[in-house]
Formats: sequence, structure tokens, C-alpha cells
Amino acid sequence: MVNLLKTPAAWPRILLGRADADPTDLDAAVAAGAFEGLQRAFRDLGGAGTIAAITAASLRGRGGAGYPTGDKWRTAATTDSTKRYVVANGYGADPASHTDRTLMLRDPYAVIEGTAIAATAIGAREAFIAVRGEDAEVISTLSAAVGHATDAGFLGDDVLGSGRELWVTVRPVQGAYMLGEETVLLKALEGKRGQPEQRPPHPAVKGLDDKPTVVNNVQTLAAVPWILREGPEAFRATGSARAPGTVLVQVRTPGKDGVAEVPLGTPIREVLKLGGKLPEGRTLQAVLIGGPSGGLLPPDVLDAPYDFDTLREAGAHIGSGSVVAVDDRTDLVELVSVLTRFCSNEACGKSIPCRIGTRRLAEIVARREVGLRRPVDTQLAADLAHDIVASALCDHERLATLPLTSGMRYFGSAFDPESRPTPVASESAR
Amino acid sequence: MSFMVPGLGIVKGMALTLRRFFEPKATIMYPEQRADVAAKFRGRLQLLYDEWGTLKCETCFQCAQACPIECIDMGGTDTRGRFHVHWGPPETYGERREESAVRRAGRPVPDPAFRPFEPLDMTELDRILEDFDHDPAHMLEILEATQEAYGYLPVAALKRISHVTGAWYAMIYGAASYYAHLRFEPPTATEQSDALGRNRPAESAYVAALDAALQGGGRQSASARA
Ligand SMILES: Cc1cc2nc3c(=O)[nH]c(=O)nc-3n(C[C@H](O)[C@H](O)[C@H](O)COP(=O)(O)O)c2cc1C
Ligand code: SF4
Ligand code: FES
Repeated sequence: MVNLLKTPAAWPRILLGRADADPTDLDAAVAAGAFEGLQRAFRDLGGAGTIAAITAASLRGRGGAGYPTGDKWRTAATTDSTKRYVVANGYGADPASHTDRTLMLRDPYAVIEGTAIAATAIGAREAFIAVRGEDAEVISTLSAAVGHATDAGFLGDDVLGSGRELWVTVRPVQGAYMLGEETVLLKALEGKRGQPEQRPPHPAVKGLDDKPTVVNNVQTLAAVPWILREGPEAFRATGSARAPGTVLVQVRTPGKDGVAEVPLGTPIREVLKLGGKLPEGRTLQAVLIGGPSGGLLPPDVLDAPYDFDTLREAGAHIGSGSVVAVDDRTDLVELVSVLTRFCSNEACGKSIPCRIGTRRLAEIVARREVGLRRPVDTQLAADLAHDIVASALCDHERLATLPLTSGMRYFGSAFDPESRPTPVASESAR
Repeated sequence: MSFMVPGLGIVKGMALTLRRFFEPKATIMYPEQRADVAAKFRGRLQLLYDEWGTLKCETCFQCAQACPIECIDMGGTDTRGRFHVHWGPPETYGERREESAVRRAGRPVPDPAFRPFEPLDMTELDRILEDFDHDPAHMLEILEATQEAYGYLPVAALKRISHVTGAWYAMIYGAASYYAHLRFEPPTATEQSDALGRNRPAESAYVAALDAALQGGGRQSASARA
């Protein structure tokens, strides 16, 4: 079971407000406000009104990139088509981060209601919640909740007595890290190999079955009912001006590893504090933010706010929502090597930067790790990373360069082969 | 959108013809003069013939399965003159291998990789295909249902699915081999054939390596680094 970290009482609770109740008890959830948002969307706001409310709330996608959700919905709603779909992305690609699954286990109704509202807003009759096939707990919790909500008339062939249809289906999928990427996820839902497609056209224009499809992270969708219930103003009052609301963060320190709901814009120092103090005698060497393709930032970032834009500028990203305190025991080059290798292994192989670029990058880091002296490597790594970013087919290979580029940017000397022991074996490792 | 003016289509077509008629001509004196090819052009795919004038392709299907963007599919007439819409699996493979063995070695060489496939009772599969409306958009569900019915994905079943849904065999095989929960052999006694649910070893290895790196106890010992 995932460990929930205690947060200050003053922090807003938007996603985990009902986390302590029995997650699949529909009556309790309804008593606490579940499906009020859906009723507002259905009865008062209508499609355009709902999208306007989400736009007014400045909700941004929690799947990593922070794309404005209202814009995405409007694109899907206004693209001419006979059919539209909503896909809730609950894949949770990073195996070391449990943020999305925590949400789905603690409050499945928020995810389901958010998905239903998105479908109502864009005029979709079918929606899918994509989850990991190996996560039996999430599948059974969500499926039970969908069943109860359908029986109660919140979903199904006659939603809220309106005569309109809206089906939400839990779809287990399985593949590699890449499956979390939206175009890959759609491929999996279509029963094809998990490999990305060139964007644009974005899924909001041409997605599942080539129909306009909204793909949103489950946290993004779970914030939607709250926004419709409490109003966009109330939402904008939380988090930061550029990024209102809260996100779930997997905080990991040497002493603790758990999930917490954190308002966007909270100083990174406060986020790390949720994981307790570093053990006696240890100092903070770096902070790893964003998961396997995250950025390695120096301790001076502690006062920077945790939000999409600041992290991007610093060379990291919110990514899988993981924030890891790296103390002075860690060999940073080894850490970067582990991350880069994972990203390379999980790349799908469809494009050259993906198949070969990430592999070469991992090899360069591995040479650094064992202290092999190749004077051109530093330049080579920088050039290669640049080329990968410039020619990538999907964001995975772009982001896969981040551990190395951020490591070299902030901890350059650690990556200098002169500072590393000469390998015992000869240079045969080349 | 769809209002109709009689003859409008013809007028549009003629207008296009007229426009093109007065455009400058772009005739290139090939082969003396050659146009630039796209920067990413990697040459044309072509199957080569051997000195006997027969195709060197063994129909091993490797290229079609390996091609990451699924631009290769095998199709055509096999060595016994039978037409196959989508080629591939063991029986054609076996035929070609046997034939080329006779040609090259002068005697049949038994091919251990070739097992004639078992005749399969297709009733169940046809019911599944019916349920999914023969729709290739439901491929993963079709494959999962097939595996549930037969315990694994027999080649004969994959072929039938390809023929009936019209999806390329390479695409079906590509998808089926991509997903770890799908299998091509019957499960052994200790294995479960169940749908999804296998943990991915690559992920556990990553989590373990990450833990090790964070605790300073990775592959390099602290003393080696000091
Ligand atoms: C390699 C890769 C992995 C991703 N994994 C996930 C994931 O596990 N969950 C997720 O919601 N989004 C993931 N994304 C982002 C999705 O592509 C997509 O942007 C997101 O689901 C859109 O939702 P949002 O607008 O709510 O952020 C991933 C992207 C990439 C490039
Ligand atoms: S099927 Fe096998 S032998 Fe034939 S072209 Fe493809 S890879 Fe070569
Ligand atoms: S991971 Fe293969 S193209 Fe992006």
C-alpha cells in the first residue's frame, strides 16, 4: 500500500480530499459531493459552458507538459467528426512513482466523474480509463466504482435521466515506459504495437480510430469535478498564478518514500521537507525531479517553486511527479547512467534518435562511469543530446537527454573523466 | 456543406487542366539528368534473385516483423503456385526452406525450426471474430480472447485473424509479440496463461539500480571511488 505523507493543514486538498473514506462506497462519495460537477455540466453549463469554466480555472495538464486543458477540450469539441473519445491516462509509466495509482485507489469516483465531464463537454459517448494491466488492485477498484456509478445512473445509456449515453470503460494495457505517451497509449488501445505517431495532428484532432480524442492525465481529470463544484475562482486561488491547483508528488528521501498532494508553486524545499530530515551526517547533493527522464538539479534550486515552467527552465520537468533527494553517498554519474540506460532500454525503436541516439547517449555515460578517458566525449554528448532533441519523433527521446544534460550543466566536474579512477580493466570496455 | 450545382465538378476539373496546361513544364532528361532525392532516402527495397533466377528471399518474415514502422509486408505466390494474400508463418516458410535446401545442397535438409502446424478447430475463433465484428480496431481484444480460448496464440489462428480482419500478418504478429502477456506457445504446467499481469523485469531492475545508486552502493564501491 502506498504511503501518504502528511502535509500542512493549510494546504488545499483537491485531489485527496476524500482519501480517507472507503474508496468504492458511492453513497459516501456522493454525500461528500461526488457527481455534483457532472450534474452541473449536464444541467446548467452544457459543453461550451463546461469548457469555458475549465479554461477560466486555468487548469493545466498534470501528465507532465502542463498543456492548458480547456484548449485541448475546445480543439476536440470543435473538430468536425461523427464520434469523439476521452481517454484518461492512468498508466503511470514511472515504476518508482505511485502518484496516479494512489489517486485511482483513494478516490476512483473523482477520476470517473472527471472523465465523464470531459466526455460531456466535448460530446463523446465513450470514454476509457487506461491503467496498467499488472495492477490488479487499481483495475478492481476502478471497475467496481464504474459499476456502481453506472448502476446509479451517473453513467450508462441514460445519464442523469437525460436520455443521453455515456460509457466509461476501464482498459488494462501493458507495454513499456513509452506506453504513457499519449499517441502510444492510443495505439495500445487500438490493439497495435506501442509506438508513437508524429504530432501534429494531435490526438485532440485525430486520435483513437482517427477521431478527435482528449487524452488527459487522471489527476487533471480528477481536478475537474472540484472546479465545477467550487468554481474556477476558488481553483485559481490555489497553487500559483501560472499554474493553479495541486498535484500529487512522490517524495523520496533517504528516510521516507511516499505520496503527497502539493500545491503547484510550493518551494521545492517545502516539498522535500515532507520526506523528513536527511540522516545525521548526510548532506544534500542534488535533487532529481521528474522520474527516469528527469533533471538533476543542484541544492540551490530548493527555493525555486515546484511548477511546470520553472522546472522546464531549470532543465527538469514535472514528469512523473517524482522528487528525489540525492545525498552525498550517491555517485551522480552512476545515477545518470542508471536513468539514461533505462530511458534507452524503454525507447520504442521507431525513429533513429530513439533507437540509436539514446543508446549512444547511454554508452557515453557508461564510459564516464568507469572513468574511460575520451577527450571528445563531452562535446559528443552535448552535440548528440542537441541532435536528439532537434530530430526526435516523440518527447521520450527528447526528455531522455535531461539527466545527462542537466548533470553536465550543474555538476560538470563530476562528469570529468580526469576526476574519476582509471578503470582497472583495460580500455576493452570500449 | 454539400450543395449541388450541375456541372460544377466538370468546370472545376477543366479549370485545373487549364491551369496545369499553362504552367512551366518540369520535364527532366532522365537518366542524363537526375533529380535530388530526399535527404532521408535510404534506397529502395527490392528482393534479389539468385543465380538460378529464383528469389533469394526465404520468406523468413524477419524483415516484416523487425521493421519498426511496419512498411514491409510479405505477400504473393508461394513455390507451389498458391496465392497468399499475406504470407509468413511456418508452412510457407517450410516449403521455401525445403525447396532451397534441395536446390543448394542437392538433398532435402530437415529443418528443425519447421513444425507443420497443428490443424486448429476454428469454431471458437470464428465466434470471437464474429463478436468483434471482424474489426481490426479491436485487435488486442481479439488476440486476448483468442489466447483465453486456446491458451496461447496458434499460428493458424493468427493467420485466420489476418485473413478475416484484413490486417497485415506483420502488424498482428508485431502487436502480439510486443505485449508481454500474449504468448505463442501453450503454457507449461507451472506457468499461467492468464491475460495481463506479468511484472516487467526491466522495471524491477531499474528500481533496484536506482535504489542502489541512491544509497551509494552501486557497482562502484565507495573505496574505489575515493
Ligand atoms: C515517455 C512519456 C511517458 C509518459 N507517461 C505518461 C504517464 O505515465 N501518464 C500520463 O498521464 N502522461 C504521460 N505522458 C504524457 C502524455 O503524453 C500526455 O501528454 C498526457 O497524458 C496528457 O495529459 P494532460 O494534458 O492531462 O497532461 C508521457 C509522455 C511521454 C513522452
Ligand atoms: S522475409 Fe526474410 S529472407 Fe525474405 S527479405 Fe525479409 S528478411 Fe530477407
Ligand atoms: S521512444 Fe521511440 S520514437 Fe520516441
